[in-house]
Amino acid sequence: MSRDAMMRSNSISQSLRELSAGDRVLLKTLVSCALTTLVFGVVLGLITALIRTGYAGAEPQSGYRMMTGHGVTVFFYWLYFAQMALLMALSAAQSSDEARIAFAPVAWGGVLLMVLGFAASQIGTWTGSPLLYDGSPDLVGENKWQAGSFYTGYVLLALGLFLLAVSAIATAIASKVRSGQRVWSTIGFAVVAWAGLVMVSSLATLNTFLPAAAWAFGWGQEPANHSTGWHLLFHNLHYLPLMGTVIIWYALVQDLTGVGSIFGQRFSKGIFALYLIFVPPTSLYHMFLEPGLSPVLRGLGSLLSLFISVPTIAVFLVIVSSLEAHARARGARGLFGWLRMLPWREPAMAAIGMAVANLALGGIFAFVLIQERLAPLLSDTFFVPAYFHFLTIGTVTLTLLAAFTWSMPALFHRPLWAPRLLRVLPYTLTAGLAMFGVAGMTAGLNGMPRRVLDVAYDGTAPQLWTAMSPIIGIGAVIMALSLLFYVALLVGTALGAGRQQVLAAPKPFILATTESAAIRQKAWTAPLCVLVLVIGMYAATILTFALLRALPLASAAGGSH
Amino acid sequence: MTEDSVFIGLVSLIWIALAALYAFVPMFAMPGSAVVWGSGAAVFLVLAVIIAIAERRMPQTPKRA
Repeated sequence: MSRDAMMRSNSISQSLRELSAGDRVLLKTLVSCALTTLVFGVVLGLITALIRTGYAGAEPQSGYRMMTGHGVTVFFYWLYFAQMALLMALSAAQSSDEARIAFAPVAWGGVLLMVLGFAASQIGTWTGSPLLYDGSPDLVGENKWQAGSFYTGYVLLALGLFLLAVSAIATAIASKVRSGQRVWSTIGFAVVAWAGLVMVSSLATLNTFLPAAAWAFGWGQEPANHSTGWHLLFHNLHYLPLMGTVIIWYALVQDLTGVGSIFGQRFSKGIFALYLIFVPPTSLYHMFLEPGLSPVLRGLGSLLSLFISVPTIAVFLVIVSSLEAHARARGARGLFGWLRMLPWREPAMAAIGMAVANLALGGIFAFVLIQERLAPLLSDTFFVPAYFHFLTIGTVTLTLLAAFTWSMPALFHRPLWAPRLLRVLPYTLTAGLAMFGVAGMTAGLNGMPRRVLDVAYDGTAPQLWTAMSPIIGIGAVIMALSLLFYVALLVGTALGAGRQQVLAAPKPFILATTESAAIRQKAWTAPLCVLVLVIGMYAATILTFALLRALPLASAAGGSH
Repeated sequence: MTEDSVFIGLVSLIWIALAALYAFVPMFAMPGSAVVWGSGAAVFLVLAVIIAIAERRMPQTPKRA
């Protein structure tokens, strides 16, 4: 079999194309729910940003409900509907049988519970006290049953995620047994590890919100440790989408270029297992703001937090070094000449490229925030939402959309609509994000608070906040429009707007050479990028300390980041 | 057992150790940590066992893709 034909037969997109109609309906339902929640969440986010920057007005309660609705819808429902769609798709793509999704009724039960969870969360948000996405019981007041609905939403979401993860794992195991291959591919193994972490995160969600729901409905005491439970859950929710992101990068790059890891399958599986190993010990830094924490534990937490990005950087090294080695074996010259050999005309590749750039920026500033001395000073400022949008939108959302761009033609049996425009959107999204993020972090470093609707403070706010607000607002508009265009083009693809083009199996872009040729090449770009990242982290930390020392402020922070 | 079940089993062992640390070392005490990480350890242990059982039931001569 020629390399070209082999690639086509092994590709994820081709495997999805051959799924049974029933399995494709399940995946299409998850994709549809994901895109619906993304649109809803983005519109709420845009309105919130316009209110904050003074371009729109709203009663405080309505404004905070929009802020809550934005956080809940995007952070919980968009990210998890999309992740579940891709988790199920990648697990189903591991075998070549027609009907592959194991325990399909269980998976459908999971989808139903997630949809019901979304409805319950929205009822709680729009009829009760705005609880923000962490749902603190302190904010519930008299609106108990509405809070109960809000918490029940998270409980149903957790149960739904658990069921879908069970089905994904069963699908991967069934493919192993049926194919007779004793070991999974790297992606097969990574999918199981990812699904395992989904299950743990579901349990952490139940640990946090089941007592809160019981209290809200009058069946128990007010939970005494809600914030601690939230920290534990939130720690999982930092790792889970990032783990999904790098698994998708690995899978898509392999599908788009034909290049697998030059370090071997076992090494790559070890790297994905590292994600799970690093989750529990790095959770300590979420306790920095807890009163009474011993100095020893603060020091230890600060030290351990440095390890939080090790697995992500390791996957980055594996992917980029493998691509560079294969490209150099094919004749690429110069430090960055190999980059020109990548398939940038493919919309998914453009999105992954921008996602990597955004992760570097978000990562640098994440390290500024999780330092023990800086966390109390910055946690309640706009620095936090400004930097984490580089991760939630610029990295994770862009990667999920890249995967949809790649997989939807296969799932819907329809050609991609307006691929040229889809190729441009990652850059416009990143441009809007850069405006929003840089202006927001600048304002945050100068004390602009987060979770406040009127940051003008009746004209008494510092001049810098006023100067940064329009840039934040314009950045938010560009970012939101880019995302809405993305969804419109994907929905158009699903509905057959690209019908005038010929639907054919995508021609694989083969960058891969033989493994023996690739491993003889020098591939220094990835290590150099990591060096630049470390220098950037030091520079950002020094700059932040210098800026904060210049401010006349005192810290009295609480809450979480 | 293959590398798949070994890696997942290793994860469960590390989580068991960390859950014990969170449960029994007062300095690390944070309400709910031992429960969350302990239940996670159980999830990965069960997964490792299921994968190992599936592998044992497969033919001994592997078919490589």
